[in-house]
Amino acid sequence: MSAPQGQPAEISGIDVMRGLGQVEAKGFWADAWSRVLRRPMAVAALAWIGVIATMAVFAPVLANAHPYRMVRLDLPEGDPARVTWPLFAHLTPTDLLLLAAALVIGPYLALPLARPRAARLRDAFALALQAGLAVAACYGLSSWANDNDAPAWLKAWNANAWFPYAAAAAVAAVTCLGGFLLVPPERWRGRMVIAALVIAAVAVASGSRWKEPLVNLERYVELENEGKATAIWPPIAFSPQLSRSDLYVKPPLTRVGDALPEFRGTEFGQRMMWLGSDALGKDVLCQMLWACRLAISIGLVSTGIAVIIGVTVGALMGYFGGVVDLLLFRVVEIFMAIPVLFLLIVAAGVLPRNTYVMMAIIGCVSWTGAARFTRAEFLKLRNQDFVQASRAIGLPLRNILFRQMLPNGVTPVLVDSSFAVAAAILAEATLSYLGLGPDGQASWGKLLSSATGTTGTFVWWLAIYPGLAIFLTVLAYNLLGEALRDAIDPKLRKAAH
Amino acid sequence: MGTYLARRLLLMVPTLVGITFLVFMLIALSPGGIGASLRVSGGQMEASKAAQLEAYLEDRYGLDEPAPVQYLRWLGRVSPVKFGERAQVGRSGELLRMPRAVKSPPLTDWFPLPVLTVATLPDFAAMPTEALQDAYRKAANDYAQARAASVAASRAMERAAIAYAKDAGIEGAATVDNKFRAKAFAGREPDRSLAGWPTLDAAAATAHEAWQRAVLSREELESCFRAKPFPEAGVPIIPGFLSLAWPDLGTAFSRSRPVGDLISEALPVTLLINFIAFPIIYLVAIPSGVLAATRRGSWFDVLSGATYVALWSIPAVWAGVLLVGFVADAGWFPVSGLHDRASDDWTFLPSTAEDGTWIRGWLLDTVWHLCLPVACLVYAGFAVLSKQTRAAMLENFNADYVRTATAKGVPRRDVVLRHVFRNSLLPLITMFVTIFPATLAGSVVVERIFSIPGMGSLILEAISLRDRELILANTLMIACVNLIALLLADILYAAADPRVQFE
Repeated sequence: MSAPQGQPAEISGIDVMRGLGQVEAKGFWADAWSRVLRRPMAVAALAWIGVIATMAVFAPVLANAHPYRMVRLDLPEGDPARVTWPLFAHLTPTDLLLLAAALVIGPYLALPLARPRAARLRDAFALALQAGLAVAACYGLSSWANDNDAPAWLKAWNANAWFPYAAAAAVAAVTCLGGFLLVPPERWRGRMVIAALVIAAVAVASGSRWKEPLVNLERYVELENEGKATAIWPPIAFSPQLSRSDLYVKPPLTRVGDALPEFRGTEFGQRMMWLGSDALGKDVLCQMLWACRLAISIGLVSTGIAVIIGVTVGALMGYFGGVVDLLLFRVVEIFMAIPVLFLLIVAAGVLPRNTYVMMAIIGCVSWTGAARFTRAEFLKLRNQDFVQASRAIGLPLRNILFRQMLPNGVTPVLVDSSFAVAAAILAEATLSYLGLGPDGQASWGKLLSSATGTTGTFVWWLAIYPGLAIFLTVLAYNLLGEALRDAIDPKLRKAAH
Repeated sequence: MGTYLARRLLLMVPTLVGITFLVFMLIALSPGGIGASLRVSGGQMEASKAAQLEAYLEDRYGLDEPAPVQYLRWLGRVSPVKFGERAQVGRSGELLRMPRAVKSPPLTDWFPLPVLTVATLPDFAAMPTEALQDAYRKAANDYAQARAASVAASRAMERAAIAYAKDAGIEGAATVDNKFRAKAFAGREPDRSLAGWPTLDAAAATAHEAWQRAVLSREELESCFRAKPFPEAGVPIIPGFLSLAWPDLGTAFSRSRPVGDLISEALPVTLLINFIAFPIIYLVAIPSGVLAATRRGSWFDVLSGATYVALWSIPAVWAGVLLVGFVADAGWFPVSGLHDRASDDWTFLPSTAEDGTWIRGWLLDTVWHLCLPVACLVYAGFAVLSKQTRAAMLENFNADYVRTATAKGVPRRDVVLRHVFRNSLLPLITMFVTIFPATLAGSVVVERIFSIPGMGSLILEAISLRDRELILANTLMIACVNLIALLLADILYAAADPRVQFE
């Protein structure tokens, strides 16, 4: 029921019954959200997170040492190798899927469709979750299959042209449908459509880029300088992989031509290193952009893992109480006995240096907060009538815990998770600073560590920019968390005003 | 109170076992496993030499045993409650234990072990202590050499067997990292006509001979040990079965020094930094929280709130790098370390030297060195604590008893300090539980940035070298410190609030 527009000509009895000028109450989350949006700091925080997320998605198209389009002038007209699109050919499956998802999900959420926005948000979430899991699993399989130590039968299969597509599709199918076995969806048809979409997309994206090609990023520049090719370059024509020892530690706003006189007058010489270069001769700005990806994904994924583990353990503890509670609480205590960062340092130090492993470590170490919040809520809820009723009509345990009780007890966990994302980003930055971060991945923490460590002297642009980026992102998540907490907690809401 | 303490302390035991087990399995399951750095120490050595060295080190540190067994062994050494024969304290204070059993060479089906002829041993029990100790030292030396030779010979035999298996077409005789797998040989008959056989046969003979020598020298050492050449460690509870003794943290692989020494050098440094940081956090955060609450909505309230959230979000690594780069580089503070290089010659307090120059002394020098690290450690705690103080104060300001006090004419100052503040103290004590672990972990990072030789530097080094003893002992110590701090917080809580009883 919407509020009547203006004053009605005649007030009928029905109007009176409806309540004159009544406004339909907002849902709990919609109300909380509108309260968050009333705070300018929270809006600024959201905007910053939006910028970082956009950069994370579009970094490969914005900052890349591959040209968009290259025309080889030395090859005859009509040769298929004459006109190439190197940047698009070298996008990884993750890049491709992220770009595709951004281009599909963005309009899907923004357009005024008949389907309610909350449902569309759920769809987008399901799509992102399934695609993320499938891509991670495909990455695992492909790096195993392409490894030199792979078993012989796998190598033989991997030699077939169809194998990458089939394997990627199979892995995607297993991860998507396996998820359904664990958590059966409410409406099968819609979820199956999404799963089919994900499987097709992952099969094409992962299958066509099964093996990481070896590339020589300096070759493009050479070809262009020799006059053998013309190229269209991205706005920032550097990659985190492009490292030239002759561009060692150049201050911001240096043109390549100023540092290397032999390139003066060429396209390469004209390129500006806006934020300077680091101790490996890599452009800082392009690394900053690519590192957005690590920050955003580490924060969200590891917090997701922590919430899933914590909510499950906490739900079991709170629902059963007694011996289960006592035993599981000992496990929680083990994790509380030692500072999280300390455990992270040990784990990251001995396990493989890999983004996925890093996410898993941070998630598996920091779940105790979510577990304690859920436990407390479930202890309150377990004796309420609706829970007793669900038990009486014989609903399965999974249903009682996650369908009936969880929606009523998840608020504190969700509010806390914003702070958890901030903590995860801090943890990643700290580990990368200590040299325990993922290998071969641009990271703000890694950049920061080269400000004092490797060069021997203090390099201010390697300290200021990455540090500022970490600080602002962490601050944004913390501000968002505070705004959410104030919006949801009625006691605090009263105290704040 | 006594029972409460005892119960809490006892509950710590499973937690400590749990956390060390977790960390141990993490190392054990990681690529390379435990002692990965020991294995690569072979470096440029010839393959057979490297294999022998590896076998020796594995044997010495028990790395060839399954991970759970290794963990239980470690636990047995660390536990203050010991089972079985008591260890003895050697002259330089090292712990001497009963020698472990010697492993027999592989492939006993094909090469049956020789029957050992028991040598007549000297009557150790009748010897005077001085002679017995000399005899023990000699026997221990012989045994160490014989055992090393036996292990090396067995490894050589395994390599010969792997080579033989290749000729004989036995599948899976070696694992991926070229380790011998005895299972592949089970139920097979030897083929003496193959080219690899004479080598294997000769290697087996050598291995058996070395094994025999090792077993015999072990027997001698054992009977010497039983005669108790040195005083026993700890206090017996049930003689020969149960005793109490100080935990033995073992020897660090990477530094060949007792872990206990390393930790006793590093732990005070970390604790010092934390004990300086804590009063600062409380002294800054509580007054500012009280002030913010009494002047709610004023510019001070708004500004301090915003500043603290911002401070809270500054990564410690960034703060450290900026402090090193801008403050320490300018020469106002030292860049790294805990003491000046010359500080050993200085007096403790500031003094003037003979030529009239002023010497800042050891104490001031240390304080000067600690300024930046402590600054790096404290600022994050301000936000948490002052926000909590403010919230607790505000809650109490709305309480009835405050209105009553104001109504009956108690001065505002007394209302704030005597009524509201006292009752807001409790949450501040519980906040210790949140802040302490974070600060303790933060000091790891801070120590790295400022090159301070504390627990943080120790653990980072231990991890990069995969030093099992050092990592486990570090974990144990950090967990102990943390748990004791949390226990102290609980006791303080009960002391501050008469409603809370020890139960």
